[in-house]
Amino acid sequence: MSKGQSKGFTKEEELLLQDFSRNVSTKSSALFYGNALIVSAVPIWLFWRIHIIDLYSSLILFTVVTAVSTYLLAMAYRNTKFTLKHKIAVKREEAVTRDLSKKLADDKKMSKKEKDERILWKKNEVADFEATTFAIFYNNALFLAIVIIASFYLLQSFTPAVNYTLSIGTTAGLLALLSTGSQ
Amino acid sequence: MTRLYILAFISLLSCTFCLGCSNPKVTSSSFTTVDATIVTNIAYISEFSVTCESGKAGNLYAEVEGNISPVSIVGNNRYQVSWTEEAKTAKSGDRVIRLFDEDGYTTYKKASRSKEDTQNVPALVNVVLSHPGAYNGPWLKSEFIATILSLLVAYIAVSSRAKVLS
Repeated sequence: MSKGQSKGFTKEEELLLQDFSRNVSTKSSALFYGNALIVSAVPIWLFWRIHIIDLYSSLILFTVVTAVSTYLLAMAYRNTKFTLKHKIAVKREEAVTRDLSKKLADDKKMSKKEKDERILWKKNEVADFEATTFAIFYNNALFLAIVIIASFYLLQSFTPAVNYTLSIGTTAGLLALLSTGSQ
Repeated sequence: MTRLYILAFISLLSCTFCLGCSNPKVTSSSFTTVDATIVTNIAYISEFSVTCESGKAGNLYAEVEGNISPVSIVGNNRYQVSWTEEAKTAKSGDRVIRLFDEDGYTTYKKASRSKEDTQNVPALVNVVLSHPGAYNGPWLKSEFIATILSLLVAYIAVSSRAKVLS
């Protein structure tokens, strides 16, 4: 952002850049990493209580796999959000414009340019929020579904430790890989 | 000498009468495995006591669906028959245990050797063991339900993503 300002972008250009940027805000990033950590840690319960892995002796394995999975999932969230954000912005544009125009109609002092900027900002905010939450939901749903199928059916014959490492690692990796696609 | 033979014969005859159990009455209690979730075999145990109007039951033999074996004596006039069956093939319902004394067992074996129908050999008494059926766990396993539910949620996620991207 500061870079943009130093190069002398207008506010509108900055908003547009933000709209198409792959970078996420600190708040979004914290949300992504927090969520990724929770979702990556949830299968520990499954492997501890159902697949009977000893919690304390496998603490290092759990920590490493959870950390790797957290990183990969956060990457998947980010990429999914980037893919979805613009599409959502286009879909919500009309409704946001209508809604905001109605609100700002009485304000005679505001110039048209400022109104447009506000609409753009609001549109960006709505799309950002929706894309963030949807990216989290989408990746969590796929992650848990694949982990359950992999651990109970595909990798059933492996030892619990191998089952855990493979199911969590490959699922997080697969989601990170899939998220890099544009469709 | 002849006297001695007569005495021996009479004593043998009296002993035969005293050994035979007439008009037996059975009181039984039974146990069968009812939870087969973590076991592979179902146990059937029948414990019973036989009281005779006269005489003594002595050693008994039990026949269950064509298999005959000696009955364990677990106490004063108390007997026990037990066996196991594979959980998958174990039937529920009443099982009839046919009990034979020494004479009945001999007759049974004789009939069995000459390939006659052993069911015609009269049993001393019958004991009924009732098995209500064992619980084999839920019809649908919990992981299957979890898989279905997670797939459903994943389907909603994928379809709504496709809707947004369209």
